[in-house]
Amino acid sequence: MTDLAEPAPAALAEPRTRVSATLTDDAHLIAACRRGEARAMEMLYHQYKRRVFGMAHRIVGGSDAEEVAQEVFVRVFRGLAAFRGDSALSTWIYRLTVNAALSHLARRGRRHEVGDEGLTELPAPAVIERDSALAARIETALTQLPAGYRAILVLHDVEGLSHEECAAILECRIGTCKSQLHKARARMRELLGPGLDERSSPKP
Amino acid sequence: MTMCDKIRPRLTAYLDGELADEHGSVVRGHLRECPACREMARDEAALRDGLRALAPVDPPAALWAGILARLAAEEVADARKPRWRRHAGRWLRWLRAARFAPTMPQLAAAAVVAVAAIGLLTWRTHRSDDAGHVVVAPPLVHPGHGPAPVPPATQAPAALHGDVTEELLAEPAQTTASYARVIEELMKLAEQDSTGWSAEARAAFNARITGLRDAIARAGQGHPSHLAQSSMIHYLQTALAREDGLLAAGGAQ
Repeated sequence: MTDLAEPAPAALAEPRTRVSATLTDDAHLIAACRRGEARAMEMLYHQYKRRVFGMAHRIVGGSDAEEVAQEVFVRVFRGLAAFRGDSALSTWIYRLTVNAALSHLARRGRRHEVGDEGLTELPAPAVIERDSALAARIETALTQLPAGYRAILVLHDVEGLSHEECAAILECRIGTCKSQLHKARARMRELLGPGLDERSSPKP
Repeated sequence: MTMCDKIRPRLTAYLDGELADEHGSVVRGHLRECPACREMARDEAALRDGLRALAPVDPPAALWAGILARLAAEEVADARKPRWRRHAGRWLRWLRAARFAPTMPQLAAAAVVAVAAIGLLTWRTHRSDDAGHVVVAPPLVHPGHGPAPVPPATQAPAALHGDVTEELLAEPAQTTASYARVIEELMKLAEQDSTGWSAEARAAFNARITGLRDAIARAGQGHPSHLAQSSMIHYLQTALAREDGLLAAGGAQ
């Protein structure tokens, strides 16, 4: 855990991007997929499946994640012909993922006759089990967040993407991205209650 | 505003190692003194670490098969579509790729504007045609008899003739002047804003402005000059839209 009274460790400032595919690799992969090579398509799927499914899972929830991930990959393979390379392939795929997930939530909201805005205004359950492990509490709190906050937290904190990448995916300014992250974390702290850090938790 | 109110909005950036040294030092100094902010920062750090440590979620094994099945189904559906729908789909995809996905209200608005524009053009064309008969018709020349006298009834109103021609001749110059005014106003704003930019961003901005001014000078007069001026206005607007001047350094090429 970070000691906050000490200077921020270097690790905090290190870029946390886990994407390693180079532009050249992507270009070859895209060209092969455009030619309809099954092996290349499968390779692209394996390269991105965890992140796409993980993002979908945490934004729309476990029950609909498979449907959203399927939709994303179908859009990716069908849209590769029109992909102009204005952004990195990963950025484009994650943008499709976030958009598909948010659209899915909006559609689901309409089906339930409650708009997405309405969902965001629903009060969070007052008590999130304090005795469960922190990870489980965080997962529960994530489901209570407004969808937009959930998206930025998943991209930046869970998936470890940089602000630049998040801004490109969400098609907003880097400053907006930072302020949304701050608000999202503040909302999460409200949902989880004080004493998240074990050192400051009251002893039972 | 208390010190806590000033520090708390910066905690996220501080914890993520994104604050410059002097700002980080102020936050650290406050955290040493303020137990409430310290606890908040510890909670946020714990939350951030907890989010980073969440276990990756494995996709179900059937996902790939489901994707292939959906792809196949969509391709079959494509093949069964009538030709005009395939073309319409291609156009829509092209529009989307060009980041323009018109909604029905937008299409309706575009149709109204198009009809209005066609109506206006037609009206203006008819009007200038009428005026043309009167104004520019050359006097009839009868060989051997000298120029025929022009009947007073068909004579153009001299004032109108002169005004319209002058107006048309003056139009490009007026446009140039109006663009130039806008550029100067935007430059004033940029000069005010640039005090808050980094030296690097300011230098890049100045270099770009010099380039744009050269381009305007090279463009000469008329339409090429307007295009160059318009590029400069676009660049200035984009640069001013940024609070930090970062785009002035790298964007809006």
